[in-house]
Amino acid sequence: MLKIWSMKQQQQQAENAESAAGKKKKKVTAAQLRVQRDLQELTLGSTMKMSFPNPDDILNFTLTIEPDEGMYKGGIFNFSFSVNQNFPHDPPKVKCTQKIYHPNIDLEGNVCLNILREDWKPVLNLNAVIVGMQFLFLEPNASDPLNKEAADDLRTNRDAFKRNVRSSMAGGSVRGNAFERVLK
Amino acid sequence: MADTFTAITGPSSKERKYDRQLRLWAASGQQALEDSRVLLINSDGPLGRDSTGVTGVVGVEALKNLVLPGIGGFTIVDPAMVTEADLGVNFFLEEESLGKSRAAETCRLLRELNPDVQGYSSAKPIADLLQDPEFLPRHKLVIISGPTKSSSLQPLCQAATELGIPVLYTHSVGFIATFSLQLAAEFPIVETHPDPESTQDLRLLNAWPELAAAGAALADLGSMDDHQHGHVPYILLLLRFLEEWKQSHDGNVPSNYREKTDFREFVRSNARTSNAEGGEENFDEAAAAVLKTISPFSLRSTIRDIFEMSECQLPTAESPDFWIIASAVRSFYSVHNVLPLPGSLPDMKAQSADYVSLQNIYKAKARKDVDEVTATVRQLEFQLGRTTPAIPEREIEVFCKNAAHIKVVRGRGIPQITGASNAATIKTIRNQLGNPDSLIPLWIACQILDAVVDDIQTSGQELQRSVDDEELWQTHTDRIVNLIFTDDPAALSHEAREHIDEAILELRRTEGGELHNIASLAGGLVAQEALKVLTRQYGPLDNTCVFDGARSRSEMYRL
Amino acid sequence: MDTSTVVVPDQQGRWKHLYKALTKPGPFSDEDWVPGAETVNALESSKILVIGAGGLGCEILKNLALSGFKDIHVIDMDTIDISNLNRQFLFRQTDIGKPKAEVAAAFVQKRVKGVNITPYVGKIQDKDEDYYMQFKIIICGLDSIEARRWINSTLIGMVDPEDPESLKPLVDGGTEGFKGQARVILPTLSSCIECQLDMHAPRPAVPLCTIATIPRQPQHCIEWAHQIAWQEKRKDDPFDSDDMEHISWVYNAALERAQQFHIHGVTFQMTQGVVKNIIPAIASTNAVIAASTTSEVLKIATSCNPYLENYMMYAGEEGVYTYTFEAEKKPDCPVCGNLARKMDVDPNMTLGEFIESLGERAESQLKKPSMRTEERTLYQRFPPQLEEHTRPNLQLKLGELLENGQEIAVSDSAYTIDFRFRLIFK
Repeated sequence: MLKIWSMKQQQQQAENAESAAGKKKKKVTAAQLRVQRDLQELTLGSTMKMSFPNPDDILNFTLTIEPDEGMYKGGIFNFSFSVNQNFPHDPPKVKCTQKIYHPNIDLEGNVCLNILREDWKPVLNLNAVIVGMQFLFLEPNASDPLNKEAADDLRTNRDAFKRNVRSSMAGGSVRGNAFERVLK
Repeated sequence: MADTFTAITGPSSKERKYDRQLRLWAASGQQALEDSRVLLINSDGPLGRDSTGVTGVVGVEALKNLVLPGIGGFTIVDPAMVTEADLGVNFFLEEESLGKSRAAETCRLLRELNPDVQGYSSAKPIADLLQDPEFLPRHKLVIISGPTKSSSLQPLCQAATELGIPVLYTHSVGFIATFSLQLAAEFPIVETHPDPESTQDLRLLNAWPELAAAGAALADLGSMDDHQHGHVPYILLLLRFLEEWKQSHDGNVPSNYREKTDFREFVRSNARTSNAEGGEENFDEAAAAVLKTISPFSLRSTIRDIFEMSECQLPTAESPDFWIIASAVRSFYSVHNVLPLPGSLPDMKAQSADYVSLQNIYKAKARKDVDEVTATVRQLEFQLGRTTPAIPEREIEVFCKNAAHIKVVRGRGIPQITGASNAATIKTIRNQLGNPDSLIPLWIACQILDAVVDDIQTSGQELQRSVDDEELWQTHTDRIVNLIFTDDPAALSHEAREHIDEAILELRRTEGGELHNIASLAGGLVAQEALKVLTRQYGPLDNTCVFDGARSRSEMYRL
Repeated sequence: MDTSTVVVPDQQGRWKHLYKALTKPGPFSDEDWVPGAETVNALESSKILVIGAGGLGCEILKNLALSGFKDIHVIDMDTIDISNLNRQFLFRQTDIGKPKAEVAAAFVQKRVKGVNITPYVGKIQDKDEDYYMQFKIIICGLDSIEARRWINSTLIGMVDPEDPESLKPLVDGGTEGFKGQARVILPTLSSCIECQLDMHAPRPAVPLCTIATIPRQPQHCIEWAHQIAWQEKRKDDPFDSDDMEHISWVYNAALERAQQFHIHGVTFQMTQGVVKNIIPAIASTNAVIAASTTSEVLKIATSCNPYLENYMMYAGEEGVYTYTFEAEKKPDCPVCGNLARKMDVDPNMTLGEFIESLGERAESQLKKPSMRTEERTLYQRFPPQLEEHTRPNLQLKLGELLENGQEIAVSDSAYTIDFRFRLIFK
């Protein structure tokens, strides 16, 4: 043990570091620090807003997307983001808080976005996720759906799909499923 | 008996208890364990003036690690009485054990660990117990705690060899542990559990008619919509592109690295990029698989060696099942130039139904190959006039599935440095001594300890001389070093001798005594080997391991 | 001769083998080391903390007790499950449902005379730095990466350059099937858990869309039942992977889905494995790894031989394979590569003034920083909602926002790394 401490002293001398007085306080966690940086480096277009129910807790927030083009134009879509202390080792957990008609979002709000799951890497940041989310509303992807019926509609009859999107956004029903009104 | 899973009741309490290990060796491995009784010979008389004998913690800890996963039973042979010093190293003794039989006390406390395991103990010396010819055959494995005098060790190892019972001989002294595994001359293993990556066998260049037909039946890629195009299983893509490649390459498939990378580019260039994702996962998978899968089937040299063994070429009525099946698989190979198809298919981007139908093509072919091998096995059984029950179909199936990775270990005896040592063993030791980082000096030090104890015990001087007797150590060190360099004493370098002396110094620090940590670690390693040998799964040690607790590392040697 | 009757009187007592190793130098022990009574005393007075009383923890407690340590504490929040009994040898059928830490501590204390083991049933996060400060060495046998990272960063944060006692060596073990690793971490001095994170590859995940629409493997059907069907059908019932009824429900739902897609191979065992992310575990691997960690603890506490620098991996599938190497300390490690620097500040300065001063200080030159403490967002430049909310803080004095000696973390887009400062009030 003594040996270890003499190593520490050598290191200290080399760095000429100073020590702090007083009792130690809680440290900012690695996840918090990373989110602080990621938030600061976000690029939010005019179509996106964020809100923080508790501004001191930056690990939990809501993202609102208001597409200004594409089939989902005019809607307001809310997603809850929950980042755990294992971030960025673990991806953030994202869910749509409304029931919407979208091939890549199921009726429970689960979102199928590769970087939220199988392709997540710690080098990716929150901006990458938000860009991906935005893209889902511009280019819904019928190829690998979560809502298979919506995907089938999109694949087989794009016009019918568009009509279903409009009616679901207005709070109507599609194939017997009632959707939440999300229009401005 | 293992209960089977049912939808209503879920797993049995035994399956729940053993869940974490069944995921490694499955019900078959568990059954093999439950059919095994392990013999631990934990001491064989005092080591010298100040010692009642080996404390034997490696063996006890190894048994703990075997009782917990549920071996059928164990026997502890140990004439020693429990002393204070035992209580400082052996967790399976308590205050009340003092002065009682160490075998009985340890056995009692080990049995508490698992009510499914039978435990027996004997305070008689092993030599007495071996008088009963039925004693040893009751066991499937023997663990011997060293140092043990040659006159006990040799006959025991000999008897075990004749019965085909594996032996583990262990030492744990201070910070050093070594052990060796004696296996039968041929020790075959079917379930070697290779890395799943290395077991993929897709046969794209050896496609059987049904697989080729599935490739040919694939519709024109150009006419598919994006969704269909993006979900063609990559195996079918590769089969299709191989055909196209052959047409433009005089009927040849890509055969060298250059051609394969060209072929990979060709595959990639067919992916659609104008879609929402800007690429296609199935094409990515196809391109990634090119280098690994576009190769003709080739027999691994280890399997070729097994096919050439006389046991495989000339099976007899008495041959173990392994060799009968190996012989049948060899016939299969000589007819088809491939091994039976393992039949598993990796996951890949595809629609459910397309994947399942492709999987069925692989499964059906594997089934067909098993049937063919089974027919040959039955024929062999008949021709050889085997009287044992027919080899179970399940066994043949497991063999075929693992055929590319079966293994036969050429077992060796417990290595010792004597005038009669194997020349190859001596050569290995000498080579190792030329490497300054080798741990072989620690093993040599244990050999010298064996010789010192042997000397004390056989001269009847247990109560006079100490295991730390300087003169004894000098004598036996010189003698053993001379045996290693007997034909060329000049080959012993100064450094090598220094390393041996250093190892002896470390070994003598505790005067033959065990430290619990190191004994427990060795007990873990020994149990690990016991599990692999008893389940006949994974790959056993071949044949000696040395662990250096002072420098936190280990090495393996074939001695 | 009949050896069974030989009884050699014992004069040297219970720990004679151990004491020999501590009172005699060896060829590999440090030249400066003084063996003898002082070393024995160092051993017996070292208070050790064991984190985890599971497969590794049971072994570690036994090994420490039989290595002569007298004062051992153990933390574990779990209770005993039937599937623990194949390796957690301090527990019996009748202990199922009881807290691991308590049962394990009581067992070892009863078996080994003179050792005192104090259990704590709960999470490591329940305890503060004062608690961890009382130990000499901390030894971890955990199955969670998250808990390892927590204790790692806590111990690194505790290192006070003026107090030798604040540096707590962390010895960590982990196993999976026939494989495992042991490592020694000297907080702030050597490679830490965070530096080595990329050595643990995360488990490959299956795309959610595959699970939802094109299952091909039995595991896909189980994931569907667990992640999608449960949410749909039993929304108000929080899923509990230890509840057999819940597992059975998922199993049956998975089985039904598998039949629909003609997929074979869904079993109850596989369902449990997927849902609970079960890692195979056996007694022998735990014994190897636990003993190598406790051997390092003994060596660190007594100096009787050199300790591991700093990583030993073990694989037992094919013979006995170990690889010992020195994992490197990462200069840009977010935990140990980024230690708080002390900064003297005037508590009457406002946060706005402080931020301005950061831009002027030669050592920082932070022009556009965002910053926070563990509990509070002090100033966050982006996104706008946070900026608006934290802007009023700029007018507040540091003394109103912070406590003396508190740590703040600062990010500035101009730098790729972040900074930590411990603010000392002048």
